[in-house]
Amino acid sequence: MKLVVNGKAIEVAVPADTPLLWVLREEVGLTGTKFGCGKAMCGACTVHVDGQPKRSCVVAVGDVGDKAITTIEGLAAEAALHPVQQAWIEENVPQCGYCQSGQIMSAVVLLRARPRPTDAEIDDAMSANLCRCGTYPRIRKAVHRAADILSGQAPAAAPAAPSAPTAPTTPAAPAAATPAGGKS
Amino acid sequence: MSELSRRGFLQGALIGGGALTLAASCGGGAGARRIQHADQTGELVANLYISVKPDGRIALVVNKAEIGQGVTTAYATLAAEELSVPIDRIDVHYADSHPEMRTSFNMQITGGSTSTKEGFALVRRAAASAREMLIAAAAASWHVPARECRVEGGYVIHGSNKAAYADLTKLAARESVPAKPRLKPAKEFTLIGKTDRRVDARAKVTGTAQYGIDVHVPDMVHAFVIHGPVYGARPDKITADAARARPGVIDVFPFRWGVAVVAEKYWQALAASRDVQVTWGKGDIAGLDTAEMMQAMRAYDDSGAEVVDEGNAGKALARAQTKIGGIYEAPYLAHAPMEPQNATVSVKGKHAEVWAPTQCPTLVQAGVGHALGISDDNVLVHTTLLGGGFGRRAIPDACAQAALISKHVKRPVKLIWSRESDMTQGFYRPPYAVKFEGAVKDGKVTGARMHSISQSIILSSKDMASAAIPGMPDGLKSKFVDSMLAMFSTNTIGDVFATEGLRGTPYKFPSFELTASPVHTKLPVAAWRSVGNSVTGFAMESFVDELAHAAKRDPLELRKQLLAPDSRQTRVLDALATLSKWGTPPPKGVGRGLARHFSFESEVAEVAEVEIVDDRIKVRRVYCVVDCGIAVNPDIVRAQLEGGIIFGLSAALDQEITIVDGVVQQTNFDTFPPLRMFEAPEIIVQILDSDRDPTGVGEPGLPPIAPAVANAVFALTGVRLRRMPLQRAWNERGAK
Repeated sequence: MKLVVNGKAIEVAVPADTPLLWVLREEVGLTGTKFGCGKAMCGACTVHVDGQPKRSCVVAVGDVGDKAITTIEGLAAEAALHPVQQAWIEENVPQCGYCQSGQIMSAVVLLRARPRPTDAEIDDAMSANLCRCGTYPRIRKAVHRAADILSGQAPAAAPAAPSAPTAPTTPAAPAAATPAGGKS
Repeated sequence: MSELSRRGFLQGALIGGGALTLAASCGGGAGARRIQHADQTGELVANLYISVKPDGRIALVVNKAEIGQGVTTAYATLAAEELSVPIDRIDVHYADSHPEMRTSFNMQITGGSTSTKEGFALVRRAAASAREMLIAAAAASWHVPARECRVEGGYVIHGSNKAAYADLTKLAARESVPAKPRLKPAKEFTLIGKTDRRVDARAKVTGTAQYGIDVHVPDMVHAFVIHGPVYGARPDKITADAARARPGVIDVFPFRWGVAVVAEKYWQALAASRDVQVTWGKGDIAGLDTAEMMQAMRAYDDSGAEVVDEGNAGKALARAQTKIGGIYEAPYLAHAPMEPQNATVSVKGKHAEVWAPTQCPTLVQAGVGHALGISDDNVLVHTTLLGGGFGRRAIPDACAQAALISKHVKRPVKLIWSRESDMTQGFYRPPYAVKFEGAVKDGKVTGARMHSISQSIILSSKDMASAAIPGMPDGLKSKFVDSMLAMFSTNTIGDVFATEGLRGTPYKFPSFELTASPVHTKLPVAAWRSVGNSVTGFAMESFVDELAHAAKRDPLELRKQLLAPDSRQTRVLDALATLSKWGTPPPKGVGRGLARHFSFESEVAEVAEVEIVDDRIKVRRVYCVVDCGIAVNPDIVRAQLEGGIIFGLSAALDQEITIVDGVVQQTNFDTFPPLRMFEAPEIIVQILDSDRDPTGVGEPGLPPIAPAVANAVFALTGVRLRRMPLQRAWNERGAK
């Protein structure tokens, strides 16, 4: 089965009813998309399918076909940040950070549809994404800040050198996150 | 020999990231080993926590888990401050399990809001010690007194002499470890109190942060565990031929916790698990019913064990002009961190290696060691990032399961629980019923009596120690459980968690009688963000509010009457009154409620502004003032208080774990709903200036929010809600 993930064609051999979430994490090797509830209730697994936010834990991979899948890893080019990611850092949004891939993917879609969202529009667009650390007030601020950056009213980040934090103590590197090319 | 030098050199392979693996031992040879290592590698291993790399970067070992509380940023700030380097010069590494890393409760544990409090001395001392060795080396080479040298930006400087740390490592290794390094006084701080940007933010917004669920180990397989419908139920019989025949499936087998489904890929295990039929035993909490349990706790007529008896509360109550009384109640609660419980374990003979998002590597060693029948010391634990914890991740049940599965299939195993297992597998915040009576005379409080009836975390821990808890390995009995029990159980206070936040209250009641009664079930309970304070704060602050109304006093004024003047409490309350414009009329349709609580050595007071919209309690805004000593990273302190408030609000308004005939009724976020964005209040946090050493911030924001909301509902509607979750109490307010 052929998928298009972050602009690259990838061949995966899985049954059509396999949840997209686990295909991305285990077959494609992109672990930035998180498992939270398995029932489309928490939004931690949010990815874009043809630009729309989808809860990948309940999307059967066979239903995706050749639609473009974008994950958190594909949001920005190497070493650069998407304005939403930049705003997230500037507002100190992440705490544990586990839900934030999904939060950011939802926010990106919101800002495409509503470049200047109101608080009510943010509530509507972001309420499918749970956060147990309680970062909601900061997410709200960060969405507004991202809107400023996108509209040129706030500076975009200079391409920053990746900062220090810490590979965990895992002796082996995580599964290679580089998708294979379009062959076979 | 100083503590730092004693700890300076340890057996190798203990520290994370491969950065600091020194095969060296303590004692007389330490200096020689340090010199040899520096000569060979150019790295100065100053002590257990700080190394200076040959490129001038600083490796900092953090013995706490990053759960989102910002410990990595805090410790990096502290180290950078004492070494006078920019914070981006610090590389953080998580400590593997090791006895020398056991700094609180005799364990290597992240809990009790202790991380910054502990690190404030420990990390600064370690970094200052390294700095003094570097200075001593430079001073000796320049033939100048060390006291005339200073450090700046990674250099030691004396007059026109300037040497980079990177060029001093070999010389510094030859210096003795300072017994008492000088710590910067607060007036010299350039980073502490001024650093806000998190060191882990970039990884967390780009999807590159590595949590337990993301661990990859070569040759690893994946496991799913089917748990029974009743906590502790064992599988009597399984039918799994169809599951075993599925592609990728390695094995399906029953074990004491349930049925393990093991496959090459997790999605294969998940799919195969649906083809497994299980006949379950009845389980250890068969018949448990929370409605009956709460009824029994309400009806409990023993007066309980005496905890506090000051003045004569009986007499005050007998002579009261106005008496109040009733019961405050709180249910079981799940922690429900966003990352479901998971662990990766590789068992090889008498050794096990664990990669886990754990708050307590020491307990993982104990749990895995006992599950496998090997020594705790043969279990090496690597801590990953944690996708939330809130206390649940101090429990090593998933680690012990993964260890047994790895032993069974003879390969490394990553076990990931379903959300449903995460929510139903116990170790909940215990339920409470706090009975109270209060006496008021001539506008003043004259007496208070409280009786806290709660399921005992201590008795659960004793079950853990005696293997009566099915979620724990047989015979789990370790130094740490013993020391925890010794620490928390005393004859005078019974179960500390039943009355923490009540005994030692800063309110000076003219008479105060406090008793406690432990309840026990086989459903294990554990610490949940702020532990007993999550209920006792609700009880005490609702009680004081009720007393204020009975005394016809403003709730803020009555609190100040009962508190010592010029105390941390009154200082915080005064600041909150200004911040929240207490005393001015709230907007129409809005009720304001006030509460305060002292926990984890920090004082927090909050005002909640509440509306009732379509019969729904809606919290519009929360004002919060905290005195937590020095705020090392002020914006992270604010974030922790915001987080405590929202976590507490989810529980205060909506969440409860209920059990019918042994079966937990809530299995996912639909029935155990956390607050969502559209209901998140605006939160305004003010940190009071302080020159005290830092105290807790991860938990203290939580206890005041529930009573602040309940008190606001009363101010708005005259309805007193004494039972959490408050929304259900509101819905049932007319009922008996």
